[in-house]
Amino acid sequence: MQKIYVHPLPVRVWHLINAAGFVLMLLTGTQIRYIGLVDLLSFRAAVNMHNWIGFVLIGNYFIWLLFYLFTDKIRVYHPELSPTKHFQASFRQLQYYGYGIFKGSPNPHQVSAYDKFNPMQSMMYQVVMFLLVPLLAVTGVLLWDVQGFYGAVDFFGGVRVVDTVHVLIYIFFVFFIFFHVYMGSLGHTPTAHYKAMFVTGYEEVEDEYAGATKQK
Amino acid sequence: MPSPHSMKPMVTAAFHRDLVIAVLTGLLLIFPAKFMAADIAPADKLSDGDKLCLGCHGVDGLKKELAGGKVLSLHVPGDDFAKSVHGPIGCASCHAGVDLNTHSQKTKTIANSREYAISMVKVCSGCHADALKHSETSIHAKMLAGGNQSAPVCTDCHGSHAVTPKTAYDTCVGCHLAAMEGHQKWLPNAGLHLEVVSCAACHAPAAKRMVDLRLYDGAAKKWVTEQAGGPGFEKMAAVADADKNGLLDAMELRKLMAQINRDEAVQAKNLRGRIELRTEAEAHQLSDKSKAIKDCATCHQQGAEPFQNVTVSLINADGKPVRYKAQKEVLGSVLSVDSLREFYAVGGTRNALLDILLILALVAGVSVPIGHQILKRIVKSQLERDAQQAGTAKPSGRDQA
Repeated sequence: MQKIYVHPLPVRVWHLINAAGFVLMLLTGTQIRYIGLVDLLSFRAAVNMHNWIGFVLIGNYFIWLLFYLFTDKIRVYHPELSPTKHFQASFRQLQYYGYGIFKGSPNPHQVSAYDKFNPMQSMMYQVVMFLLVPLLAVTGVLLWDVQGFYGAVDFFGGVRVVDTVHVLIYIFFVFFIFFHVYMGSLGHTPTAHYKAMFVTGYEEVEDEYAGATKQK
Repeated sequence: MPSPHSMKPMVTAAFHRDLVIAVLTGLLLIFPAKFMAADIAPADKLSDGDKLCLGCHGVDGLKKELAGGKVLSLHVPGDDFAKSVHGPIGCASCHAGVDLNTHSQKTKTIANSREYAISMVKVCSGCHADALKHSETSIHAKMLAGGNQSAPVCTDCHGSHAVTPKTAYDTCVGCHLAAMEGHQKWLPNAGLHLEVVSCAACHAPAAKRMVDLRLYDGAAKKWVTEQAGGPGFEKMAAVADADKNGLLDAMELRKLMAQINRDEAVQAKNLRGRIELRTEAEAHQLSDKSKAIKDCATCHQQGAEPFQNVTVSLINADGKPVRYKAQKEVLGSVLSVDSLREFYAVGGTRNALLDILLILALVAGVSVPIGHQILKRIVKSQLERDAQQAGTAKPSGRDQA
């Protein structure tokens, strides 16, 4: 097995802030919406925490955005430019996760520093990072000060529309947090991806593949 | 003439007697009075008796000198009074017992304007006994009883002659100038709360609350008022109430809004919700600041008390609201998203469909890992069985998968 450095320290720190932040946002958001059914925090404490962490995550997002816009690492999000090939590769990946993985088939995607996401992942993460998170953040900021952003709130159809968008994306992320954490356990060992992302930054790949795809 | 249907005129025998005396005396004074009235715009809608009073009291600068060099203005803005809610009931309803024979002889002793305002409270209670009863336990009454003369009485909040319906907020910030700043220190979305929640809803904690959905013209940026000669709002609401149960459900409300907006290219008229009290009189039992509601869950909770009673309303020509009841489900219904686009209380008026979606997301989130692991065991045991069978059929010492 060869070790490839795929998660530089800034990326690991960004991911840790995001992970902790998202879990807390989901919990405080659930406390706010389902007060009466959930009793972890008072409504006001939940709102204040939700606001503070929300702004930290928005700042974190811009760090991520600037890092990827101004370095060549942005290629990890879209190594395959042809949409058809990307979709086909994603489907092959899905087949691997749905069946091939149980047979012990090799993963159709081999990790490298500039190609660390399999096609399914890169599609998912593009949708999450370029659509869902920005929408969630923008609707969240509008809800943080409905009167101050009245023009924008009205433009989008009123506070109920803005809140519904925010809640729908929240619902997606409730699913996603389970899905994402579980998918992380599907490495060549159950803890391989967790170690790489939270601790070392190194993924282990089979020698015969490492030689072919490893880039400087 | 403003419609008096919501008024309770206090027409007593004393009023009739005074009117007769006033008219007879007035005939003697009418010549000079006509000259004095020359620079006043006539409030045509008032009765003759009222016009007689305004003959002197409509004069700018009319005043009474009090002890200690203080002055009490006796000027009454006639046009404002005519336009006010008390215009139809006239001067003598509150100022009964005026004998024109002795009126201008300055026999009444008034210590100061504050004392005069306080003494008029019992006059207001003649019609507004409910409000007075509630105000007796209020913080303002306690301040007054404690000797604080600047504590407000009826006329301080409602005005003396230009009494018109206005929001609680407009009334309260006249004295409580720092209210907004004070709330911003601890209340998220403070400005929005002060716009949508009437002061008394939190500061009269014993009162019962409701939601009033009022018609607003989003294009003209003002409240919709009843147009005289047009189809009355109450009638339109009754027609929209298809099942005739006296309550508008989400679909009926949608039809009513479509009817209201039918002549418009754009659905400019929508509903703006406010949390108000179920009875106006209860708004007077304002408590000490320490007892004011600070618990967010009073409203921000499913099934909260303020959301159990909903009315739809618009302002009539008098400035008073005309209401029709609605089902509480309209607050969270999908069908009212476009007509009720602005009223939403996080956690309090949520839509049940989204709750179902959340449960599905949770179920999916948990099922995918569990399902995947089950599938893994099924596939692995199947593969092992295949390999075993292949092994027994052709024993070759081959490694198993």
